[in-house]
Amino acid sequence: MAYRSTTTFHAAGAGALIAVSIALTFDARAQTSAPQTAPATAPFSKDCQVGATQIADESPLPNVASVLAKRKTMRILTMGASPAPSGRHGGYSDLIESILERALKGIDVVMINRGFSGELAADAAFRMKNEVALVEPDLVLWQVGTNDALAYVPADQFAATLKEQIDWLKAHKVDVVLVGLQFASQMLRDAHYTEIRDTLRKVAAQENVIVVRYYEAMQFVEQAAREGGVSAEEFDLTESGSNCLAQYVARAITLGVFAKNLPRRGQR
Amino acid sequence: MPREPNAVDFWRGFALITIFIDHIPGLIYAHYTLANFSISDAADLFVFLAGWSLRLMAEGGGRIMPTRNVMLRLGGRSLEIYAAQVLITMLALGMLAASAIGLSNPLLLQWHNAAAVFNDPVPAHIGLVVLTHQLGYFDILPLYVVLMLMAPLFALIDRVAPQWLLPLSLGFYVIVLAFRLTLPTWPVPGTWYFNPLAWQAVFVLGFVLAKSDAGPGAFARRHIASIRCVGVPILILALLVRRFDWWPDPTKVPDPKLFFIADKTFVSPMRLIQFLALVAVFSIAFFYIRKAADVAVLRRPVLALIGLFAMLGRNSLHVFCIGSLLSLSAQIARFYYRGTVWIDTAVVVFGIVVMAFTAWLTEARQRFTPPVPAR
Repeated sequence: MAYRSTTTFHAAGAGALIAVSIALTFDARAQTSAPQTAPATAPFSKDCQVGATQIADESPLPNVASVLAKRKTMRILTMGASPAPSGRHGGYSDLIESILERALKGIDVVMINRGFSGELAADAAFRMKNEVALVEPDLVLWQVGTNDALAYVPADQFAATLKEQIDWLKAHKVDVVLVGLQFASQMLRDAHYTEIRDTLRKVAAQENVIVVRYYEAMQFVEQAAREGGVSAEEFDLTESGSNCLAQYVARAITLGVFAKNLPRRGQR
Repeated sequence: MPREPNAVDFWRGFALITIFIDHIPGLIYAHYTLANFSISDAADLFVFLAGWSLRLMAEGGGRIMPTRNVMLRLGGRSLEIYAAQVLITMLALGMLAASAIGLSNPLLLQWHNAAAVFNDPVPAHIGLVVLTHQLGYFDILPLYVVLMLMAPLFALIDRVAPQWLLPLSLGFYVIVLAFRLTLPTWPVPGTWYFNPLAWQAVFVLGFVLAKSDAGPGAFARRHIASIRCVGVPILILALLVRRFDWWPDPTKVPDPKLFFIADKTFVSPMRLIQFLALVAVFSIAFFYIRKAADVAVLRRPVLALIGLFAMLGRNSLHVFCIGSLLSLSAQIARFYYRGTVWIDTAVVVFGIVVMAFTAWLTEARQRFTPPVPAR
């Protein structure tokens, strides 16, 4: 439990830390009217720093950027299983909202949660179309893959669902940030889990959309905890993971907003 | 003695087995349930038949029951369902925790909205108690609890001004859809998967249509042939929409959009109309299924099927609770043994056998309970 308290304590400052760094990045970029490169890497809270390497590919969020040029509200629809709320600091989406609002000064971030735990990608995709029509988001934050992997959905079927849904969102001018599979060291040996994780990454690369690699990030966090002599109880990491994930997602979104001129990933 | 098999119990048994299968994501047999051929699914049938049964409860099985007794009876039933929901939720959490420890895999603690309970138990337990926190696939009984809390009001209106019950219910349904009124979840922010404010329409339709001698129920019975003629093309169209993905683009339909899209949370009109068509067309099916027992070679299997489904339906709450836990067990088993057709077959057969045993045991307990001696 001591580790959990530490995690929560660090998470408290994480929002401020990441917000300040992103805000500085934002101010710097705002002065140059046409950003050509991605902003500098923003630091994360201590618990989440190790996982900060290669946790998300930088891809533009052109629709969000275009919307923010016209109005001061960003509507984010979250789909899939949301990580649990963590202690007194509120939930995963509360944290994302507060980090983004501090980073994007003057922008009102509205989080609309429509995730249902246990839902397969195909079911979420069907429901997502309705939700997009009803709540008109600028961005969809979709945590996807874990349930399909655990339910042994064939990888090609999962890929087809994902691709069709991303294409649909693009056609309707809604950006998407994918959040990858959850981490548990036992799943390292599970071939299907790995296959679904790789499929998600592959489709995201083909479609040039951001995928936050939750799995790898938490793997790094766990490794760091072990190396740092902290009892890396994976049961405690779920809470730590929720906080770190919110930071990674907020950072990926912020980078995406200002990365409209980034080359396609395949062109780099 | 348990009552003889009838259509309501039969179809409720069918709905219970279908829900059990539908609640095992990835299961090979889940590709062949009603939801794959229809816009509505077994949840609609379950709620509709709950409303139908409410008629029997409210009318006291033919006896004239004082209004106060009806209110107490229905209130007691909602408490019973609430207790069942709390019990199966705690058992499900225990199963997930035991599996996570047994398999040394904390991923299972994140499954089905359980993470909030394990990571942040103080608010999550409040949410469990007040039903604003629901585990994934354990979200039908909370709907049922709210519907049964509304039931005394429905029964009262039905006694005082029966002609107003359906218009009031449908009128409220229209307002709910137009303004997207729903119930929030907490502490995980979101909305109820089954919105009771909208699903009350299905429940009330079941209640109203169960009345055979007056009102919409009598009208439907008088014109059932014509209604079926309208219903058949609706079902064919729904089948084509489902199989070929001919859904309208929800962003292109006019406002209020919920009136024109297929939405389960709000049981939107497209879904509701298709479900009513399904009820009308298949209301004759039980008659023919029973008639099939007249064919010598089919007699035993058909009677066994009718007996099984009706027995499940007669004991629906117990069977539903066990079925929910069996669905979760099946998911854990599929995860551990890596879902194959053999595992899928085994979990379905095992699940149905345990559900049947539960129903049998419930009736056996009643049979073996000695009558209270007269003083």
